[in-house]
Amino acid sequence: MEPPKIWRERRERYLGIGIICEDCQKKNFPKTRICPDCGSENVKPYKIAERGTLKYFTQIMNTGDELIFNTPYIVGLVELEDGIKVTAQIVDCDFKELRKGMKLEKTFRVLARNGKEGLIKYGFKFRPI
Amino acid sequence: MSNEVYIIGTGQTKFGEFFNLNIGDLASEAVNKAIENAGIGKDEIRTLFIGSTVSNSLSQSSIGGICTRSCSLSSNAYRIESGNASGAAAFHHAFLSIKSGLYDVVAVLGIDKLSDYIQNGTIEKILASSIDYQWEYEMGATLTGLYSFLTQAHMEEYGTTLEQLAYIPTKNHQNGVLNPKAQYRYAIPLEKFLNAKRIADPIGRFDVATPCDGAAVVILASERYIENKKPHSYKVKILSSSAGSDTLALQHREKLTELKATRLAVNDAYNKAKISANDINVAEVHDSHPIGEILAIEDLGLVPKGEGGKATVEGLTALNGKITVNPSGGLKARGDPFGATGIAQLIEIVEQIRGNAGKRQVEDVKYGLTQNVMGTGVMSYVSILGRGDN
Amino acid sequence: MSEKVGIIAYGIYIPRNRITVDEIASIWGEDANEIKSQLQIFEKSVPFPDEDVATMAVEAARNAMKQWGGEAEKIGAIYVGSESHPYAVKPTATIVAAAIGAEGETTAADLEFACKAGTAGMQMCFGLIQSNMIKVGLAIGSDSSQAKPKDPLEYTAGAGSAAFLIGKQDIIAELEGTYSYTSDTPDFWRREGATFPSHGQRFTGMPAYFDHIIKATKGLLEKIDRKPEDYDYVTFHQPNTKFPLRVAKMLGFSKEQIENSLACKYVGNTYSASSMIGFAKILDEAQPGDKVLVTSYGSGAGSDAFSFKITENIEKIRSRSKTVQYYIENKRNISYGLYSRYKGILKV
Repeated sequence: MEPPKIWRERRERYLGIGIICEDCQKKNFPKTRICPDCGSENVKPYKIAERGTLKYFTQIMNTGDELIFNTPYIVGLVELEDGIKVTAQIVDCDFKELRKGMKLEKTFRVLARNGKEGLIKYGFKFRPI
Repeated sequence: MSNEVYIIGTGQTKFGEFFNLNIGDLASEAVNKAIENAGIGKDEIRTLFIGSTVSNSLSQSSIGGICTRSCSLSSNAYRIESGNASGAAAFHHAFLSIKSGLYDVVAVLGIDKLSDYIQNGTIEKILASSIDYQWEYEMGATLTGLYSFLTQAHMEEYGTTLEQLAYIPTKNHQNGVLNPKAQYRYAIPLEKFLNAKRIADPIGRFDVATPCDGAAVVILASERYIENKKPHSYKVKILSSSAGSDTLALQHREKLTELKATRLAVNDAYNKAKISANDINVAEVHDSHPIGEILAIEDLGLVPKGEGGKATVEGLTALNGKITVNPSGGLKARGDPFGATGIAQLIEIVEQIRGNAGKRQVEDVKYGLTQNVMGTGVMSYVSILGRGDN
Repeated sequence: MSEKVGIIAYGIYIPRNRITVDEIASIWGEDANEIKSQLQIFEKSVPFPDEDVATMAVEAARNAMKQWGGEAEKIGAIYVGSESHPYAVKPTATIVAAAIGAEGETTAADLEFACKAGTAGMQMCFGLIQSNMIKVGLAIGSDSSQAKPKDPLEYTAGAGSAAFLIGKQDIIAELEGTYSYTSDTPDFWRREGATFPSHGQRFTGMPAYFDHIIKATKGLLEKIDRKPEDYDYVTFHQPNTKFPLRVAKMLGFSKEQIENSLACKYVGNTYSASSMIGFAKILDEAQPGDKVLVTSYGSGAGSDAFSFKITENIEKIRSRSKTVQYYIENKRNISYGLYSRYKGILKV
């Protein structure tokens, strides 16, 4: 949980800022300096959609120590309204309540805490609408 | 004279938990066995290609010097990393070094020592280094969690069932019983897989290959060298060694019902070897999770797309079935010391071609294939081996 | 007052988990019915382990932003009041700024004054706007309070957040006046590094909560020449339901004037957010022309009293974000076991 990394990624993690290519019009997340689809350098920031649908999901029982405080938790592959897909946690619901195709919206949560004294990493997760 | 490349020697430690051995101990055992098997001198090895995911510890990632000293080698050595496919990646580069005419004899060491990382969460974090760490792992996913998505996608698209999936580790444990080098030499009944607690639904507690300790070595030689020196060991020809790639993160893939990297690698491998999927008699594939083997046998063209589960239940991939898959027990029963796995797969095919596979010998093996995968399929390496006299 | 200033949008957030008084009382062998009749609180909100003061503040702020519909770059000040900031050093306000896209030319600070740190931020925003230093300010009260197991506070210490956007344009609740009263009163405290707050038991009542709220409220009424019956709604800090009901009566307000604001019955004491959530609940139903009086209380001790007049703009923004009632109803009940895990009482 390095301070420069947390700082560098904040707009992506907090706001979901990716890119849109002004040449091929493709949207991408996370951001890259050049368009991963056409290679153009002509890209500008793009805020990904706030809502999407649940494509796949599972309940995680084992994971790395900075995430273990939250297990069991749900992680899903979410297809946003703008076509962008992201991997993220699904919160505010029980595993049994989830269904494929469910509508979700972005929320703001703690992703990980570096022990008791280190930095806290925040970012987006999703919850059922 | 052409520039064919041969495997002239193999050596492997048993796979398992060896708390009293360090990485040098494991490396020297496998290297010495391989040198003896090849009937060559240590000084003939020009380079040691090391495939290792984690290496000696999380702090010592440069393990070349550790391995040469502990193996009493004077060659140069370097580590090649390609996640869980590091062994196959190292093999690929060793193959290229001889194919290019640069070297005549090289050794490939696949090695990892994972039993030090028994504390909660460490292995999951190591495995996370071969998925998208930033946008999958840090978002909450794990390697097994992502394999769960692959499993769900296949179940949805092709109607693959949990029972079909459970046949994979059941079969591989049956094969593992016959492999003296395997970590788990016991059969596990189908029901145990089906009834186990789901650790990343629909993946159960016993479905996933276990990280362990182990080292495996193959020695490669050029045609020129063999003509001159004629080592005693029965030589096996490398017909092709190919690599393919896909996106690191699942979210960037068009579809989750195939391993594109494997498909690209195997197409290239069949072309170079001038054979087709129908010619393969035996295959060692990446069954870290049950869906891994189903995707592998489909995307390698060994069974029709979507029928991997059905084919497994029908016994087509069982020992001496239509095409034997994972006679060694696979990653599941052999144990998975990440970097060593890709080399152990090659050794199994070499033993099968040499006719040295004992009770798990497949009849009349002409061609064998290995498939080793990094993460959820971002990199895939496919090698085809054949008899030396081909 | 020269130019009009007031609330231009608001948003709240309450975590989804609730633990009932019955569940807590059963752990300690207490009589739940007796506690419920004393406190008139039935359950309290509990955050998930991945929620804290910053995440709740962001949720509330985003609800307020959605209701407002304006651009984040226009926000000139962000204040987050809390007694449970995730960092002792490193502001919550900057996290909120980044998460609503308001980084850049803005001032920001975290405030601490027990349960009135949120209204202190509102007051600062009013001041900055009236002095033309900024155009729009964001004041947030957010808390995820800790209570020592078995302490009476355990029945009421909840979690929640409320965010108010303050400005001059498109005012929904116009500020008619504000008045504060402060004294050094040690009724409730938490030393640096201590996990749980301590309190002065019965001393938290008369010389603390009641004295400060009464003096601030009376001071305001006198200052702007109003009487209790001039108001359609009133709300006070809600450490439980009994205290605000009693102080209302002492000040001459009726039960009808205060009753609808008492979210604490279902979410507990949300500390810095408490009187602000009460105010938000009033705004959810108030009509143009209605007059609202809000008095916070923060231990230590002080009270900020505000008088507002609801404008016609309130009709326009009302459907744009989630109501307090939505959050009260969007819940699931948890056991004491899960509660102790979520609150970190159970060490892993």
